[in-house]
Amino acid sequence: MTSINRRDFFKFVGAGGAGAGAGYLYAELVKRPQELLVPQVVPPEDYSPGLATWYNTVCNQCSGGCGISVRIREGEAKKIEGNPVHPVNQGRLCALGQSGLNALYNPDRLKTPLRNNNEGRFQGIEWEEAIDELAQKLNESRARRQSDRVQLLTGNIRGHVNGLIGHFMEWVGVASHMQYDFTRPANLYEANQLTFGQSMLPYYDIRNTHYLLSFGADYLGTWLSPVHNSLGYGHLRQGQTEKRGTCIQVEPRMSLSGANADEWLPAVPGSEGSLALGIANVIANGHYTGADQAEWANALTTYTPSNIARLTGISEVDIERIAEEFFTNASLAIAGGAATAGTEGVATHIAVNALNYLAGNIGQKGGVIFNSDPGFAQTSTFEHANYQQMITLAEKMKNNEVDILILHDTNPIFSMPSSSNFQEAMENVPLVVALSGFMDETTAMADLILPTDNYLESWGDDVPEPAVGFSVASISQPVVSRLYDTRSLGDILIDTARMMGTEVSWDSTEAYIQDVWSRIYAQQGGDPSGFDNFWRSALEAGVWGQETASTNQGSTVKPFPVNQLSDVSNKLEGDESEYPFVLHPYLTLTFLDGRGANLPWQQELPDPLTSVVYNSWVELNPGTAVELGVKEGDVLEVTSPSGTIRAPAFIYEAIRPDVVAMPIGQGHEQYGRYAEQRGVNPIDLVVPNFDQRSGALAWAGTRVKILKTGERVLLIKTDGITRTLGRQILGPSEAEHG
Amino acid sequence: MSVLDTIRKYREAGYYKEFDYHWGMTVDLDRCTGCEACVVACQAENNLPIVGESSFAQRREIKWMRIERYWEGEYPNAKLNFIPMFCQQCDEAPCETACPVFATYHNQDGLNTQIYNRCIGTRTCAVYCPYEVRYFNWFTYTWDEPLERQLNPDVSVREKGVMEKCTFCIQRIRQAKDLAKDDDRRKVRDGEVTPACAQSCPTEALVFGDLNDPESRVSKMANDPRGYQVLEEQNTSPSVVYLQKVHGDEEAI
Repeated sequence: MTSINRRDFFKFVGAGGAGAGAGYLYAELVKRPQELLVPQVVPPEDYSPGLATWYNTVCNQCSGGCGISVRIREGEAKKIEGNPVHPVNQGRLCALGQSGLNALYNPDRLKTPLRNNNEGRFQGIEWEEAIDELAQKLNESRARRQSDRVQLLTGNIRGHVNGLIGHFMEWVGVASHMQYDFTRPANLYEANQLTFGQSMLPYYDIRNTHYLLSFGADYLGTWLSPVHNSLGYGHLRQGQTEKRGTCIQVEPRMSLSGANADEWLPAVPGSEGSLALGIANVIANGHYTGADQAEWANALTTYTPSNIARLTGISEVDIERIAEEFFTNASLAIAGGAATAGTEGVATHIAVNALNYLAGNIGQKGGVIFNSDPGFAQTSTFEHANYQQMITLAEKMKNNEVDILILHDTNPIFSMPSSSNFQEAMENVPLVVALSGFMDETTAMADLILPTDNYLESWGDDVPEPAVGFSVASISQPVVSRLYDTRSLGDILIDTARMMGTEVSWDSTEAYIQDVWSRIYAQQGGDPSGFDNFWRSALEAGVWGQETASTNQGSTVKPFPVNQLSDVSNKLEGDESEYPFVLHPYLTLTFLDGRGANLPWQQELPDPLTSVVYNSWVELNPGTAVELGVKEGDVLEVTSPSGTIRAPAFIYEAIRPDVVAMPIGQGHEQYGRYAEQRGVNPIDLVVPNFDQRSGALAWAGTRVKILKTGERVLLIKTDGITRTLGRQILGPSEAEHG
Repeated sequence: MSVLDTIRKYREAGYYKEFDYHWGMTVDLDRCTGCEACVVACQAENNLPIVGESSFAQRREIKWMRIERYWEGEYPNAKLNFIPMFCQQCDEAPCETACPVFATYHNQDGLNTQIYNRCIGTRTCAVYCPYEVRYFNWFTYTWDEPLERQLNPDVSVREKGVMEKCTFCIQRIRQAKDLAKDDDRRKVRDGEVTPACAQSCPTEALVFGDLNDPESRVSKMANDPRGYQVLEEQNTSPSVVYLQKVHGDEEAI
């Protein structure tokens, strides 16, 4: 019961009449504690009330590597904006990046270490106990010299935190660290390795190109570094003085980039690489004059415009016209998305690289520019796990060859097809430790959960990839103090190693990062006494860059290995007579691979192309819908050789009649209140084939059939009538113009 | 005659010229990609509530800034156009004439403003608005703890029964004016105020500034021959100028 103290009592008495007094007393009783009203005689050290401060750090919502500035008032994060001096995003930021605050202040964050009591329930435990348990198990494994039976599996981590992980692996005896990220363009890395001898992402200079030809790459929504690409796009359209750049998009279902392109070409799904080779054929035989012209013409003989027109559904006239425009303009070809997520994803990328080579775009302004070495010793104690390696890991786990699995911020159970049985395999691992911020599907399988800091609470650094043409490194720093009893990945590793008796010279991730930077600073010839100033200014700016000598390799373009060109027809899984439609799953800019589904702002953000909120849907061509008698909201059963899911139909104007598209991201069984039991996950339909050369999952290579269930739901969306009906909304009509 | 002249049609006889500012914005539809970064920026800056799925189902969403989609043609020649839509801060605002309690009025900066604690929730203004950019609080929305810690202390949180809409981030304008005063300047310099939407825009499609200042970036943009106003025939005289999208088959302007 609330007691009334002396002062309150006098207030009560002073309030006068009994009625007024009773009312006042009630208000006093239900009022929140008064601590907030106490004037700050001793103001807190880290902020001035009423004054906003901005701290710079790095966005972690996708792997674009944008710099962000977070507005802090009274110790709380209020808004995330782009860091104006960061060369990747130059002050701008996408929707997902801005929703990072929803992750920081998410009500469903993990707040304390948890242990699974083997009855499917988690119990809170102390940090000491949790670390001790992990340390003991690692000690046992080390005593048995079985470092190969401990597996570290994380999401995408860049920068020197990887160095700390490398040290940890050495200290405690872990042989393998794999990074698994569904959105990683593994096929692009592999293709660049095969054609340019560089397994890194070059800089695609969208900003300065006059003719952008994209094969399925949704560069404005999800491809590589969307904010940087969008900055480039704005310049391409209205910033270039010579001419307004042209954008061509080849894809079976119109993406955000397709909607903004001048021309949208719905080629047969899986034939995008063939179209690239068809265009290459026209260039090689009519325009290209390089020394290896004969070799090219010879390699591309079968890809004549007439053959390719039959294969892709794009007319010969268009192929020849695009080839000419592509060759004569300062052009750039890129590929991504579903177009390169088939069984021949690498081959498709190679075909597109060939186009860039033939048009002389390599190393040119507005073309493909290779970055110089970032000048940072990058650690290589980890490998990027492709789908094939994940399957191998699942096999190992199934055969009881893994004793300890340490997970961090990766959700393979959600982003791998259920037919890959990763979940079942995990059940065989005696100890699964999840270092995670949220209870997602994979974390829920853990025996021990160690809650990690949000990215706005932890230290780190980052070298953005694709880079921007010169050396750039950014620093992640905590912008708010920890909300809960969480620790960062690096700190947990240090604590565990210490618990195991290892001498660790760094007390925290912060100390480690600072130490690494001081060594880089010294290597660059900095005066040791000036490091503190350098460090402070680097933290203030959030980014450190160095203009290096020209990285333009235009004059030294290596001959293209023409023999790498190969068959580009992607194999589609499923018999066409039984499964008449091609499934086109796509990443959305709202959820990416599902990681954004726990953010309420993202759930409430209308999908940019359909305006649907809070749900999944199946996109059908209007003609197909009429044929099948399907209307918007009809619940459809979509069946592939791998499984069946149900979702409401959405009639989409710009999709091939033989394709059905579904957004990736929803369909979480775990992941907090905003994500759970909402929509479906189309990855579950994917037949787990992979590209032979890269081992990446061919998530766009599955056929499906559709069945009307007869059930109807209201598909919640914000759009009403999506035709202008003659109203002056998009501008005066042509007639009025003239 | 440029679009700016049509705006000024109602401003002759020195009516607004006396005042320091006429805030305006230009939206370059040739740059806008429909990525909705502005939508989230607005939500974060202005404490827009998380209304929930059922409110969306009843079309009770609150998004001061939204992207509209308009299709042209049929497959395979279907084209999609995006247009950001938000309060046009009309000089001749239909909503202002409608309000029975003068909760919405025009301020001396050319802004159409909403006084929350005067609003009694008749929703007449929303009916009168041809752009449908006024949003009504059907409930007192709450934030699941600790999401409320994100709320911007410079902007009030609205309650049930109150109409709300884009303010051109008036709190940022206020702050810029204060800073200019501290700096012994009477006027805010061009570029010192940027609303959250324009600040976030990854393609730099949105430009904000003072239309009274002929040298400001927004005035120069508004004079672009592609400039037009949405639903011009309504004679609302908006302070927002859209720059028409250039279609691929036309000569670039």
